[in-house]
Amino acid sequence: MTDKGLAELSYRPKILVVDDEQRIRDGCHRVLTEEGCEVAGAADGKIGLEMIEKEHYDIILLDLMMPGLSGFDVLSQVKAIHPDTLIIVISGYATVEHSVEAMKKGAFDFIPKPFSPDQLRVLISKAIEYSGALKDIATEKSRMRVLINRLTDGVLATDSRQRVVLANPAFLRMIDHKGGEMIGRDAGEVFLNEQIPKMLGQALDMIGEDIAEATEEITSLQKGEKEPAILAARCIPFRDRAGRNVGAIIVLHDITALKKMDQAKSDFVSMVAHEIRSPMNSVLMQLQVVLDGLAGEIGEKQRSIIQRASERIKGLISLSTELLDLAKMESGLINQERESFDMVEVVKDQVEFHQEKARAKNLTLEFTGSPSPMRILANKRNIEEVASNLISNAISYTPEGGSIKASVEREGEFVRMSVADTGCGISREDQERIFDPFYRVKNENTRYIVGTGLGLAIVKSIVDAHHGIIRVESELNQGTTFNVLIPSDAF
Amino acid sequence: MADKQLILVVDDDPDLVDSVSMKLENGGFRTVKAYDGLEAWDKIKQEKPAMVLLDVMMPRKNGYELCDEIKKDPQYKDLTVVLLTAVADNVPTSTYTHLDGKSTLADDYIAKPIDLDKLMEIVKDNLVR
Repeated sequence: MTDKGLAELSYRPKILVVDDEQRIRDGCHRVLTEEGCEVAGAADGKIGLEMIEKEHYDIILLDLMMPGLSGFDVLSQVKAIHPDTLIIVISGYATVEHSVEAMKKGAFDFIPKPFSPDQLRVLISKAIEYSGALKDIATEKSRMRVLINRLTDGVLATDSRQRVVLANPAFLRMIDHKGGEMIGRDAGEVFLNEQIPKMLGQALDMIGEDIAEATEEITSLQKGEKEPAILAARCIPFRDRAGRNVGAIIVLHDITALKKMDQAKSDFVSMVAHEIRSPMNSVLMQLQVVLDGLAGEIGEKQRSIIQRASERIKGLISLSTELLDLAKMESGLINQERESFDMVEVVKDQVEFHQEKARAKNLTLEFTGSPSPMRILANKRNIEEVASNLISNAISYTPEGGSIKASVEREGEFVRMSVADTGCGISREDQERIFDPFYRVKNENTRYIVGTGLGLAIVKSIVDAHHGIIRVESELNQGTTFNVLIPSDAF
Repeated sequence: MADKQLILVVDDDPDLVDSVSMKLENGGFRTVKAYDGLEAWDKIKQEKPAMVLLDVMMPRKNGYELCDEIKKDPQYKDLTVVLLTAVADNVPTSTYTHLDGKSTLADDYIAKPIDLDKLMEIVKDNLVR
């Protein structure tokens, strides 16, 4: 069995036998070479130490009683130079005391003289296995160290008392650390920034199953001419097998470039939208001045062309408004300023607000829901926009003489806003795509409807940002119902 | 009306100022024009209009600032100020609130794109009071 075990090793273990008896050295050499080891011998402690200094041995068989340097001296010196080397003590007089003392000084095991080849094989095989495990750990450690040091993200690990045990170069660079050695120091005293120690504290306080990654945005305190970097910090505790927190790890990721790009994109969209919208507003008014006859009489034909042109310009103006909204939402504004308010009131207001447009198309528009208040925690402007978009869509896509019903009801943990029309309906394949930006249903019913294809995309992103649900039910030429569910704030 | 009321129209877009003025003059008002906030202040002091139609986004001094200054000035605080804003026309709030939450002291607002008939209604409503 041992033969087999050794034959499977990927390397030849190097063994040194230090014994003043030629007979023992020769015997060990013979047995262990057969086992596939590379074996060297030394006749006394001094020669042995010289060899050990020059070369690394996996295992040393060491006689305790030798002329000159004693086995104990060799043992302590080897442990100092090569802590990973395993030492098996050969004790000529099998006294337990000597062997125990050798073990205390760090010997791996002992073998009493005289010993049989089999005893030697068993012991060596055990030692090789152990040495292999040590090697694996060392390899793993070195691999981890290289990996962590090469990461472009900053990594910091502390023990359970927030003392730094590891900080990679990227981390030191990100926090602009110049204060010398960091390992072993208290996190609270190393960081000028209070957020990092605070996050570590929170992570270390997590107990039981309650384990969560804390995330925070940190603006680094880089002094001098450099712009401060924006870092996304994630912090999580790590545990031993008994589930106790033994430390915490912080990973820093530099998101400065991402933030800047995002800002640049929003700025660009805003600028374009404004620059387009202002002149179009003017054009629209100029057309109206002409239509009003303020610039002289116009004929029926001219009137209808200018009216159509005005509609197109209005379409472009709302496109620019919606682009602005989308840009604002994408830059995260949508999550700001949530308040608790009554959704019934918002929908009723919107129904009132759109009456004029509905009447102009000879449509009935009414609120049919429950009159009792239903509160949600949300951004009011966003919800107004959702209601407004759904109602004005219904008005656009319902032919003259139709009806639109808006309602608000409770549905489980949610408050549901529904807008139902008797319009042209949406085919099944279009239903899958209507929430995509710029997607518009194109058929004979919709040809003359001016729209941007952004309304529903905006509705969808608002609903998503509020952890809500949006559903559409529709039958071609029968009508469409949009349902928006927003988590209730009733409890 | 023997004495036609004077309205100051302020916007950095001259085409918009012209269109609005034409409509107002056609509706029986006299108009005076300004193209930025500072010029508007001068015109207010020189011409003593009954009302200011005031754009928000303008060079030199924006509409919010000018509106606040008018309303805080004891001599002019009763001057009617109507803001011309680019806020989306589907927001049914009567007290206009700027996107970053700054409220203004204006008497009323008209959302851009401006419907000239609605503009006339708002102007007449505010001058009757």
